[in-house]
Amino acid sequence: MIETFVTVSHMQKSFNGHKAVDDVSFSIAKGEIFGLLGPNGAGKTTTIRILSTVLEADHGEAVVGGHTIGKESAAVRELIGVCPQELAFYPDLSAMDNLVFFGRMAGLNSSEAKEQATNNLRMMGLLERAKGKVDKYSGGMKRRVNLAIALMGRPKLLFLDEPTVGIDPQSRNNIYETIVDLKKNGMTVLYTTHYMEEADRICDRVAIMDGGRIIVMDTPYNLKSQIGPVDKTSLEDVFLKYTGRSLRD
Amino acid sequence: MIRAINVAFRELRSYLLDKGDLAFSLLLPIAIFALIYGAFGGSGNFHGTASIVNADKGIYSVQLLDQLMLIDTIDVQLLTSEEANSKLEGSDLLLVVYIPEDFSSRISNGETAELVFKQRGNGGTEGQIVAGIIRGAAEQINRNIEVEIRVNQLVADTSITPVNVAETVQKFIAREQESPLIKTKERIVGSSPDPVNQFLPGIITMFVLFSITLGAQTIVEERKKGTLERLLTTRLTRSELFAGKFLSGVLRAFVQTLILLILSYIVFQLFTPISFLEILVIALIFSAAASALGMVIAAISRTPDQAIWISVFFTNVCVMLSGTFFTIPETGVFNILSKFSINTYANEAFVSLITEGQSLAGLGTEIFTILGVTIAALILARLIFRAVPGGK
Repeated sequence: MIETFVTVSHMQKSFNGHKAVDDVSFSIAKGEIFGLLGPNGAGKTTTIRILSTVLEADHGEAVVGGHTIGKESAAVRELIGVCPQELAFYPDLSAMDNLVFFGRMAGLNSSEAKEQATNNLRMMGLLERAKGKVDKYSGGMKRRVNLAIALMGRPKLLFLDEPTVGIDPQSRNNIYETIVDLKKNGMTVLYTTHYMEEADRICDRVAIMDGGRIIVMDTPYNLKSQIGPVDKTSLEDVFLKYTGRSLRD
Repeated sequence: MIRAINVAFRELRSYLLDKGDLAFSLLLPIAIFALIYGAFGGSGNFHGTASIVNADKGIYSVQLLDQLMLIDTIDVQLLTSEEANSKLEGSDLLLVVYIPEDFSSRISNGETAELVFKQRGNGGTEGQIVAGIIRGAAEQINRNIEVEIRVNQLVADTSITPVNVAETVQKFIAREQESPLIKTKERIVGSSPDPVNQFLPGIITMFVLFSITLGAQTIVEERKKGTLERLLTTRLTRSELFAGKFLSGVLRAFVQTLILLILSYIVFQLFTPISFLEILVIALIFSAAASALGMVIAAISRTPDQAIWISVFFTNVCVMLSGTFFTIPETGVFNILSKFSINTYANEAFVSLITEGQSLAGLGTEIFTILGVTIAALILARLIFRAVPGGK
């Protein structure tokens, strides 16, 4: 029987009368990589911010690992790791110091934090430059540090908000492989991206959002098969079919 | 609590790694100290200039000038009559001493000679003090001459010549000056009332207040880097985040103030070891209050510019209302308004310890007020922060 790790029911969030998230419901199974796709302003990041306890939903309920967000937010924070869209670390510190610091914030003691930081940096191919100031890193290296920090404390649920935006193919590939490895180890992942081939490659299921609502949700294979022959249809075709071709800002 | 300490140490580490920031904040107290020293260093006692016009060519005017030159607290400046008149006219000088042409001859003839103090108005404070010193010197010469005259009268029928009398009298006077029967000694109660003492309390309070601006920016900087939101998704509680930021603010303000106080202690020797420790206690409490007020501004501000401008405005109002650099009237609106400035209490505490030589025991009101402001500001900052996304 599939164990559900995240359940979101009729979640709503408005900013100044604008509905950023509108009656969104979905669930994520334990160990699943769930993709949230959508154009700019679709509500993906707001959904992640609510699920990571930064924002409070106006309506609806979200449960992570059996803990209700809002009522048991502290317990939820013990289960999650967040890799935000923007780089979020201390550029004046080294990668090692950043990871150790966020490890301490994730509840690790000093030696555990150092050990996990070393492992994470090795996994991300950054161990050799671990002592260098992050400020001096390339864009791809910074992205990998951003992800490595999210893995501190070995979270059960990982939020990845466009983790591969604007980086070189090697760094992107490293991040893909890391995510696939994490899934093998049983980690649940909520993944947002603009790269459709990326979602097709690593996500077990995807939900396409637009205007704050989930328009369609299924496996990439099923979604593609709904609009044409699977071998001749891409997830991008599915995306454009459901969200339209008009430009979004 | 361990996570709060980690936040504080992370903050201090970034501060120590930023060489520009570090150099500025550590050099600032040294620079301020150098300014204090340049302005007031070594000027604890009075020092003035005696401007003198000497029209006499005789022995007694030379004696008077020699006597004046031996006095440490004044310099002697000799002027011509024209120069003196011109400077008095132009208010460049407020007092000039004229030694008349017949000064020595009148004394030699046993007549009264006059020193003329020509002055604008009351001669000014410096002029009055210099005049007092010159009067003292003239009286000393007067006494010496009287002794000579009396001794000459007593030995008139002997073979002792007036020259022998003069030499012997001078020898005795010199010995008396070297080891007088009555000595005077200054003993300062509390600490010395020099300008450093007068201004140091205000400078310390100003200095600690800088930490409001630093504290105000900490949350905004985290927000700008994106680390605030990231921290809010970890096990770090909002209260731990605040405690960590508060702690780092206190440490930074205190370390900077400590440098200023240590320099003052070593160079000016203003305090006793006990009063130095008492001043450190007040500096620590006031640093806590300033850091807590900085946290309130940090919770309100959304951009670095907002944080800076609000804290600069707040700091200036506190300084203006506190009497840091001018005296607050005993009554009236300004006196009432001054009670709303945290600086007032810190300044009063520092003045009591530094200038008046009091101890901490007599500063209950000031200490409890500053501690009260600290606690109230921390609670207020936390409540305001609850209203921002992720703040609960």
